[in-house]
Amino acid sequence: MSKINISRRLFIGASVYFVATPVWASIFNTVNSLSVFSQNGRFFTAKEMTILSDVADIMIPRTDTPGATDAKVIDVLDALMLSWAGSETKQQYKFIIKQIGLIAQSSFKVNYQSASRADRELLLNKLDQLSFVERSTELSKSYRKLKEMIFHIFYTSEEANPNFMLVPGTYKGDITKNKMELYNVKKRVS
Amino acid sequence: MYDVIVVGSGITGGWAAKEFCEKGFKTLVIERGRNIQHQGPEYTDMQMPWQIENRNKVPEIFSEEGRYSIIERKGYFKNATKQFFIDDKEHPISYPKESPFKWIRGYQLGGRSLTWGRQSLRWGVKDFQANEKDGNGVPWPIGYDDLAPWYAYVEKFIGVSANKDGLDTLPDGVFQKPWEMSCAEKFIAENLKKAYSDRHLIIGRSANITEPTKEQAELGRGQCQARSYCNRGCTFGGYFSSLSATLPAAKKTGNLTVVTDSIVETVDYDDKSGKATGVTVIDAHTKEKRQYRSKIIFLCASALGSVQILLNSKSKTFPNGIANSSGAVGHYIMDHFSGVIANAKVPGFDNKYSIGRRPIATYIPNYRHEQKDDADFIRGFGFQGTAQHRSNTGTTAKKVGIGAEVKMNSNQPGPWRFRAIMYGEMLPRFENYARLHPTEKDQWGIPILHIDARIRENERKMIKRAAIDIKEILSAGGCVDIKINEFPETKPIAVGDRVHEMGGACMGEDPKSSVLNKWAQSHDVKNLFVTDGACMSSCATQNPSLTYMAITARAVDYAAKLFFKGLL
Repeated sequence: MSKINISRRLFIGASVYFVATPVWASIFNTVNSLSVFSQNGRFFTAKEMTILSDVADIMIPRTDTPGATDAKVIDVLDALMLSWAGSETKQQYKFIIKQIGLIAQSSFKVNYQSASRADRELLLNKLDQLSFVERSTELSKSYRKLKEMIFHIFYTSEEANPNFMLVPGTYKGDITKNKMELYNVKKRVS
Repeated sequence: MYDVIVVGSGITGGWAAKEFCEKGFKTLVIERGRNIQHQGPEYTDMQMPWQIENRNKVPEIFSEEGRYSIIERKGYFKNATKQFFIDDKEHPISYPKESPFKWIRGYQLGGRSLTWGRQSLRWGVKDFQANEKDGNGVPWPIGYDDLAPWYAYVEKFIGVSANKDGLDTLPDGVFQKPWEMSCAEKFIAENLKKAYSDRHLIIGRSANITEPTKEQAELGRGQCQARSYCNRGCTFGGYFSSLSATLPAAKKTGNLTVVTDSIVETVDYDDKSGKATGVTVIDAHTKEKRQYRSKIIFLCASALGSVQILLNSKSKTFPNGIANSSGAVGHYIMDHFSGVIANAKVPGFDNKYSIGRRPIATYIPNYRHEQKDDADFIRGFGFQGTAQHRSNTGTTAKKVGIGAEVKMNSNQPGPWRFRAIMYGEMLPRFENYARLHPTEKDQWGIPILHIDARIRENERKMIKRAAIDIKEILSAGGCVDIKINEFPETKPIAVGDRVHEMGGACMGEDPKSSVLNKWAQSHDVKNLFVTDGACMSSCATQNPSLTYMAITARAVDYAAKLFFKGLL
């Protein structure tokens, strides 16, 4: 496996405000378990959507339960960028996507989309660890903000809440697991 | 000309409207905020979490533009509820830098009755006696016995689900079936019964109906469905609000007129007759002024709203504001305060679960009405707490960890944990006041309020003791791993944060030191009543809304009798 190269300059020195808005070329690539977006979103470009979607999928993969891709987290995030995100968040998300690309290039000598799934997972795990140790850099703040939103969108999704009851009916505070599962199947507490 | 003008449509305004209308009075309710339809499009309670706009995140532009600054961090301020709270940037107030005041408001038909916490607790005998006993504030001119029948009257109509606990300090009322405690809460409650005679953990008393009465059903109200979406508006009418209950009841009589988007600037006074004649309002949109006339006026505009109107209503007789010959209008501003948050593990019950979203917490009533040896303060505090659900391992959204294994370990049931927050009684002090700002006005040309109300030494001492007490209580309750977060002396505590601001036109026997008599009637102006939180002479520890409603119903009954005798 490649060694992840997050240089000191990248991790500490990069300023979100320095990065100019990138112009992404359209790339169509189906290699390495990467879902590739061919169309721009409402806010993100196709390439950004591709990277973000992969990041979300690595963060919250499908296991025996749906993952971020199943919940269309990035499609939702793309829409939220227009209705929810402020200017700082918009800059931060653009910034972190670009930085992930730079880290991949620096580490693997290929762009993020061309790296293997294993390498991309390694990159993100390393970035995740570093971002919670060194919390004051722009890279760290931007990554953590993106992660928090990806998790929020996923965990408020229908896919992540199969037992959600809009109208429970009542509350019971002293029941067995079997009883709870029975109520979940009924979608009602009665 | 109306018989009655009620200013405000919130929890007391709705009651005044209902009572007057049902007695045959042609009643005008004036609401400064916009019209909202019960069960209408502004209610978001029927949306799934994935259907709520922005996944329930408030747009970040609010923060960028300095909007909603006093409320943005509050757990109840979400995208699904933001429509029910004002933007303080549009409605500024003034306060000293070193003692910020939080005035959380909802300007819409129904006011904050749409978003209130629904904890409906009677005051006890000792609560009404406290001012006289320790000499702080103005002695109450009424006691528990005066209000008891009105508490029952209100409880029956609004629907309060609660247990009869048999506590002098928190009298029982007219109740519907109580909400269940969780196994963890029952465990603590049972242990406290063994350990103490005066400290009890009880299920909260909630204005969420569990057994709708015929009257409630006829108003279109249904049983609470345990969703805890109350502050999104309830399509079932399961919790009490002006929109779900009192205004529909008033409307049924045919005697109700409602005007919204109209800000009362002044109560108008006739120096010759010595009576209030009506109000002058400013249209919220056009800023045009108009007058409404009536024989009786009830101010139910919220404590500080009513204080602002009173102070702004100047005349030859009342150069300092109507009904203010005492000089007490604007004084004795209070709120409940916190300063202690506790969190403890309830051991065991690993094979037990809970389901549904109970709309009320549990409660530890104040047990310090009599000063005990360990107290270097006066008055007392209670705690609101919950172990409604087991704790949860949560996710790694804000922690290290991504990937399959992390996902599989997320949101797994953890141990039962009980969380409690202190609610302390703030002393009524003349020097905690609200007045009209000498120069600054709002966008309608009305002087804004300047509020200087502070937590002082007695409250800080109370916090210290509450931290010790709750640790002891939770330990006696069988809890372990008890964590206490006690606010240090240096941490500012903003008055108004508990959203129970009250005082400013207190009741009392003596017209020289109080604004209202025992009927919440102005000493100075006989056809003017104030029955919202402004009328409170002390604040006790209990959530105050039930008391406001009882005072209102009682005051209307009195005003109506006076009117029929030709005395108003």
